[in-house]
Amino acid sequence: MVLLEADKVSRSFRIGDQSSLALSEHTLSVQAGEFLVLTGPSGSGKSTLLNVLSGLDRPSLGEVRYRGRSLADMTQQEIARLRNSSFGFIFQTPHLLPDRTVIENVELPFHYGCPRSFSEIRRRCLQLLEYVGMAPLTSRYPDTLSGGEMQRVVFARALACNPEVIFADEPTGSLDAENSCKILELLKKQTANNCSVIMATHDPGGIFYGTRVVRLEKLHANV
Amino acid sequence: MTFYPLFFDIQDAWRNLFRRPLRSLLSGLGIGIGVAALIAMLSLTEGAKRAAFEKFSSLGLQTLRLEAIASQSEKGESTMNLSQGIIQEDAVQLAEWLGMRGKIGVFIKKEGVRISAGNKEVKATVLGVNAGWFAAEGLSTTRGRLLYEGDIAHQENYCVVGSALAANLQVEVLSTIRMENHVATVVGVAARKGRLLTEGTGLSSVDFDNIVIMPLTSMPFPRVVADRLLLDGLVVSLEQAHESSVQFLAEQIRQILLDSHRQVEDFHVVVPLTLLREAEDSQKVFSLIMGAIAALSLLVGGIGVMNIMLANIAEQTREIGLRMAVGASQARIISLYLCHSILLTMTGAIWGGVVGVLVALLIQQFAGLPVVFSSFSLLVAPSFAVITGIIFGLHPARRAATLEPALALRDS
Ligand SMILES: Nc1ncnc2c1ncn2[C@@H]1O[C@H](COP(=O)(O)OP(=O)(O)OP(=O)(O)O)[C@@H](O)[C@H]1O
Ligand SMILES: [Mg+2]
Repeated sequence: MVLLEADKVSRSFRIGDQSSLALSEHTLSVQAGEFLVLTGPSGSGKSTLLNVLSGLDRPSLGEVRYRGRSLADMTQQEIARLRNSSFGFIFQTPHLLPDRTVIENVELPFHYGCPRSFSEIRRRCLQLLEYVGMAPLTSRYPDTLSGGEMQRVVFARALACNPEVIFADEPTGSLDAENSCKILELLKKQTANNCSVIMATHDPGGIFYGTRVVRLEKLHANV
Repeated sequence: MTFYPLFFDIQDAWRNLFRRPLRSLLSGLGIGIGVAALIAMLSLTEGAKRAAFEKFSSLGLQTLRLEAIASQSEKGESTMNLSQGIIQEDAVQLAEWLGMRGKIGVFIKKEGVRISAGNKEVKATVLGVNAGWFAAEGLSTTRGRLLYEGDIAHQENYCVVGSALAANLQVEVLSTIRMENHVATVVGVAARKGRLLTEGTGLSSVDFDNIVIMPLTSMPFPRVVADRLLLDGLVVSLEQAHESSVQFLAEQIRQILLDSHRQVEDFHVVVPLTLLREAEDSQKVFSLIMGAIAALSLLVGGIGVMNIMLANIAEQTREIGLRMAVGASQARIISLYLCHSILLTMTGAIWGGVVGVLVALLIQQFAGLPVVFSSFSLLVAPSFAVITGIIFGLHPARRAATLEPALALRDS
């Protein structure tokens, strides 16, 4: 089943009075349960494509459809709800709230989604932290964690609301081989639950995990 | 819509304050000063208002007071061809004219008279009054009785004594007191009433608790000019309490007296109600000036808060991107940063409130001005702070909410 499609999406950025094209008429569809790896040289538009697919950014041309519905037709509120309940995000540098503990960071998506009982949220988040091997550190603050630990917390947060698609932008970019392996294994496991993973990476080891690899080429088009 | 998200945003904003505690504290400074000024100003004007009200209501807001201008008749100049001051006939004429519209009390006053009973002696004021005076002043007795028409007509040597005086001399009803070389029998002890607060009105003061009240006719120290008994003053208590009718009657009474005094203004009319209004008017100017100062500092404080909020948001761009990525809608981002700026202004308001109260108390202590804290003033200041927080927090909050999530996340 096609979950997410990009139909001839282009994205150009204005820099001064010039406009530079980061992504040109890219067409792509993502199946449920697929592990799609986006690869290509630096600056080839991998991050840009991920942002456009996940609704963090809007394409300059073309459209992105989630379950057949164009993101362009959704209100800002609907896209926020979609990101909250259907998408999970992992970035190259782990983004965590500095003044919230590990468990509170994992709980964050619940506070922006449908209200649920506090005990239910706690139970779910503890489970997830256990799952990513962070159970002993639940009440630590992010600045006391290592990069690999932070990335695992981010991973737990991405899984919090049972997403249908996980967007991972170089999730292993700042990790050593062992930690990279753990994260990639965890990502791979998600696809078994019919969750799609879209990962941008340079890492040749990462490419090996994908069920499908899409290679982007660097554009030199200045329009 | 439940309150839960709002609670979460408040909690988030609260923690945010402590990321840079000094910055948070300083940004509340302007608001704090504004609130302090507002509370001090409101408490001072409220105190002044209360004091003015107490003063003028002790004189009776339904009362007109007329007093002879003492100097003229005491200079010993010939006033025969002009006027003699207020005389008994004036009172009679006014009483007839006034009819059912009010009561007239007249009095003669002698201050500093040595009063003795048994072996005790004190100095007090002696008033000679007519029977209507008690009703006009609203004075009653706790023991014994008042003086009646009959006592006045028969020139009885009876008197009513003030409560403090009675206690000092240890006199009771039917005791005898001596005023210099005059003797009178106590028929009543007056209820406590305190003194007339006449400062600044031009009236002479009377301490009702420390007087001897006698019939006008048996008053031992009369001043008689050309067979006419000179009065020291009149107290007119009106049935009508309406402001315009009080003022109208006061003017009428003045005209009548002027006519019978050959246009010589040898008396003084005081309308406490009018004085109260004048005092209120002058306070309004003061309030306006203080209000403008408070508003200005709130404005400056608000701009300070806006500035700090813009700096906070610039610093937290990536975090805002993160919140958006995990599903925060624009409304929630606005809510978060509005809560933040409201908390900033509220912390300013809280310490500003404390400082305001302290300043007001210090003013009371050292400048001797009366201060009254009303719940209104203590509520108004914090609500102004909240309103300022909303007004000046709105722009930064909207700016945060309209960030592009992809760009915000790229921020380093
Ligand atoms: N906000 C932006 N403003 C201007 N140009 C941008 C912006 N974002 C991306 N670009 C440009 O778009 C192109 C693609 O960038 P993108 O980040 O998608 O590359 P990438 O494939 O993710 O590279 P990397 O592997 O280094 O992360 C680059 O040339 C970049 O300069
Ligand atoms: Mg990238």
